[in-house]
Amino acid sequence: MAIQDFTAGQVLTAAQMDSLQANDYNQTVSTKTASYTLVAADKGTRVVMNSASATTITVNTSLFNAGDTVYLQNIGAGVSTVTAGTATVSSAGPLAIPQNGGGLLYFTSAGVSIYYPSAVTASASGLVCVKAETAFTTASTINVNNVFSSTYTNYLLNIIFDASTELDVQLRLRVGGVDNSTANSYKRQTIEASGGSSTVTQTQRDNYLLGAGNASAPSAIQAYLFQPFSAAKTPIMSNNQRSSNTTTIFISWAYHDQTVSYDGFSLLTSTGTITGTYSVYGYSKTV
Amino acid sequence: MTLKINVDGINREMTEEEETAYLAFTKKLEADNKIEAEAQAAKLAARQNAIDKLGLTADEAAALFG
Repeated sequence: MAIQDFTAGQVLTAAQMDSLQANDYNQTVSTKTASYTLVAADKGTRVVMNSASATTITVNTSLFNAGDTVYLQNIGAGVSTVTAGTATVSSAGPLAIPQNGGGLLYFTSAGVSIYYPSAVTASASGLVCVKAETAFTTASTINVNNVFSSTYTNYLLNIIFDASTELDVQLRLRVGGVDNSTANSYKRQTIEASGGSSTVTQTQRDNYLLGAGNASAPSAIQAYLFQPFSAAKTPIMSNNQRSSNTTTIFISWAYHDQTVSYDGFSLLTSTGTITGTYSVYGYSKTV
Repeated sequence: MTLKINVDGINREMTEEEETAYLAFTKKLEADNKIEAEAQAAKLAARQNAIDKLGLTADEAAALFG
């Protein structure tokens, strides 16, 4: 029951009293299935948003007074956002109300409100796993499909493996299950350091040399793939270490010069096989 | 021995077509590596030849050219 304006001499009925009491213990609810602009009658009640699509709750001035409150709640899948219309809305937290979230809108004056969210959308992690740790066994080729998308621009690839013999691991970008093996399209510069000295090589191939491994110890490769899903040239960077009596370090930067949108990649050994795991992560585009 | 491939986490033996493609890849890779190694060796030999002509020691050459 909305707030009543009793006048002198008016008889307060039991029904009215029950109704007013009910609002204290079981707040009056109005459910909205589309974006909604608060009205004066919403004072002291609960506005429940229920929409599968994103909605807004607009707050205008001159409808409420200092001390008035409205409880805002969202039970729909679409995020509902508290939006300042002609009134101001401040908050220490997000104004977006996720499904099953809610919060109190409190007015400090007719045109100034503060929203106190009781539930917030979980903030996205900076690094999101898009391909869980995946094992491969005595493989000469590893195909990884459908890991790149428009959700992320840049990606991290971690590989740890045991090699059957001394070998190199090459990468090719792929789309629709087909590797791109255009001649000279992977342009690479590499620094390899071992035993206190280093070698620099510059080359262009139909594949990108990610790193190497040998049979004496696990090897690790970490590769960064920049904008592989964009129809643009793809910079790639990789670090690799392999251990024997001395640790060999391998750092390589390259770019793949084809303006193609890729959804995955392949790993190919130069000889022998590798056994281990890989995982792929996307870098969040937003904070 | 049939070679193995892992596709999106599934380990299996390569098909004949996949094995042919992989072996062609390794053959070309080996040829490319050989060409690159020969070019690198020629470059180092030319460098050493120049150092010898200048009469520099290895330390002196390293100090000059890195």
